[in-house]
Amino acid sequence: MATISAPSPELRKERRRRVLTSKTALAAYVFIGPYVVFFTIFRIIPALYGMMLSLGDYKLNGTFELLGLDNFERLFADPIFWNALRATGVYAFVAIPLTVAISLAMAQLCNRVLRGMSFYRSIFFLPVVTSPVLSGLVFVWIFSPDGPLNWVLDGVGIGGVNWLQSSFWVLPSLALVSAWMNFGYNMLILLAGMLAIPIDYYEAASLDGANSWQRFRNVTMPLLKPALFFVLVLETVKSFQVFDTIYVMTSGGPVRASYTLTYMIYDQGFGYFDFGYASAAGVVLLVITLIFSLIQRRLVGRSA
Amino acid sequence: MTATSTAPSRPAGASAPISPVPAKRRKRTWRLHLLLIVAALLTAFPFYAMVALSLQPGEAVELPGSLLPTAPSFGAYAEAMGSRSIPTWALNSTIYSVVSVFLVLLFASMAGYAFAKKRFFGRELIFWVFVAMLMLPYHLTIIPQYLVVSELDGLNTMWGMILPTIANAQAMFLMRQFIQDIPDELIDAARIDGAGEFRIYWTIILPQTKPIMATLGTFVFLWHWNDFLWPLVSQQSPTNYVLTVGLSSMQEQEAPLATIMAGSVITFIPALLVFIVLQRYFVRGVMMSGIK
Repeated sequence: MATISAPSPELRKERRRRVLTSKTALAAYVFIGPYVVFFTIFRIIPALYGMMLSLGDYKLNGTFELLGLDNFERLFADPIFWNALRATGVYAFVAIPLTVAISLAMAQLCNRVLRGMSFYRSIFFLPVVTSPVLSGLVFVWIFSPDGPLNWVLDGVGIGGVNWLQSSFWVLPSLALVSAWMNFGYNMLILLAGMLAIPIDYYEAASLDGANSWQRFRNVTMPLLKPALFFVLVLETVKSFQVFDTIYVMTSGGPVRASYTLTYMIYDQGFGYFDFGYASAAGVVLLVITLIFSLIQRRLVGRSA
Repeated sequence: MTATSTAPSRPAGASAPISPVPAKRRKRTWRLHLLLIVAALLTAFPFYAMVALSLQPGEAVELPGSLLPTAPSFGAYAEAMGSRSIPTWALNSTIYSVVSVFLVLLFASMAGYAFAKKRFFGRELIFWVFVAMLMLPYHLTIIPQYLVVSELDGLNTMWGMILPTIANAQAMFLMRQFIQDIPDELIDAARIDGAGEFRIYWTIILPQTKPIMATLGTFVFLWHWNDFLWPLVSQQSPTNYVLTVGLSSMQEQEAPLATIMAGSVITFIPALLVFIVLQRYFVRGVMMSGIK
């Protein structure tokens, strides 16, 4: 934009030299310096190192032996890995729709001018600022065989189960905790999207005789798509990476029913110190995350 | 994402003038309140349970009695604070969170300023490498990060826990976005007045970034205060635990529920206070993350 006509090569070279050596460029390097150093040491090197680790065997005495794809072969032959994939998938399958549906319903409920609304919204955000560890500790009690959940279920005549000890119910129970923790955050993003929709659209729809469901279905939903997509991606990433609540509430149990991919990475890495094997599982997690965000982008891009 | 980016222009309260509710709509408002109250009670229940259980020392956790402590006692709090561990863990959590907030804000604002306002060789490349790193799942990098910190003799030390978290690409990204909107004229005027590079950053840029500083600071504080996995793997001795790791270790050792819940309440209070005081900035941060 700054150039009026294409500068000659000499001029360009001269300009580049000036950009490189001028006092402001020097200052710029000083300003980004600490950041680049920290980032290189603690992010870029570990990222490359992680990929490399997955291709070999790291011994605790610090030696590393390159093995090629051995870790991946071992991984694909390991029933624990397939179990971890299944657990991750089931968890995501329950957690994502549950959380997004609750977030959307709550955003719709909170999108009103009402006395006390900011108070309600504050309550709904509280779980977001709570540590997953604390949430896990309380929910262990809520889900315990004679905890409040079963107490309520008994009251309405439904026999409760031992939620966290049931290999069927443990993942849905964990998904419910995640919905509780995250809906406030998503609700806020969706609410911002809803507030950006011009009121005129709703007024026009009302004049055409649309009821509140039709207004939601035909005005809110299409215009909310970008925000909804963002929330969906956020929840997908979160549910593939769930760890803290699992560590605190189930330690991957019962009998590996909640042994997800991230828990496997932690367990193989820091339980068995099998860093290469754990990193291979990490690479699989990376690939799955990328595939899912591509699929979502595709799906939403097409229907939008 | 235009839908979200225009959001702040129409705050919640401004969409309609607050007028007396017409009689026929009053019933619907009442129903809405009822729904909201039920949702709020369900959301708040775990917090209530945390407090109620912490006031109920002893083994009796029979329902519904334990939810209405008949003889509330602060014994569990006395025990929690009296033990050596919880105050030590609280101190560690505080150092981990507060020092990180300062360092992240300092380095992210410096780098953000350079990326926003300066032209230098390699700017685009370095910036996009940073942003690309945001895509990597944290769990892939935690093992090599552990090995790098171990190589630097940083395991079991406070600095070994803090330093890796400073390379926060998200923070730098937000800083850059914000600083880009500061008018160049301000910087040029200062330069004409003879201000040096560092002086411009310190007296012109930094004061302008207060809103984003508050937003980021709130986020970074809460993130560190609640962080679990990295403190868990990088600190082996119980005197180095942060509160989240310490509480989960208490649970593993089957400490009394009341003591664990008292510890949980103690852990939750600083996060709650930061949230109450800086709520507005926190909300802004969530909105900005939606714009990304």
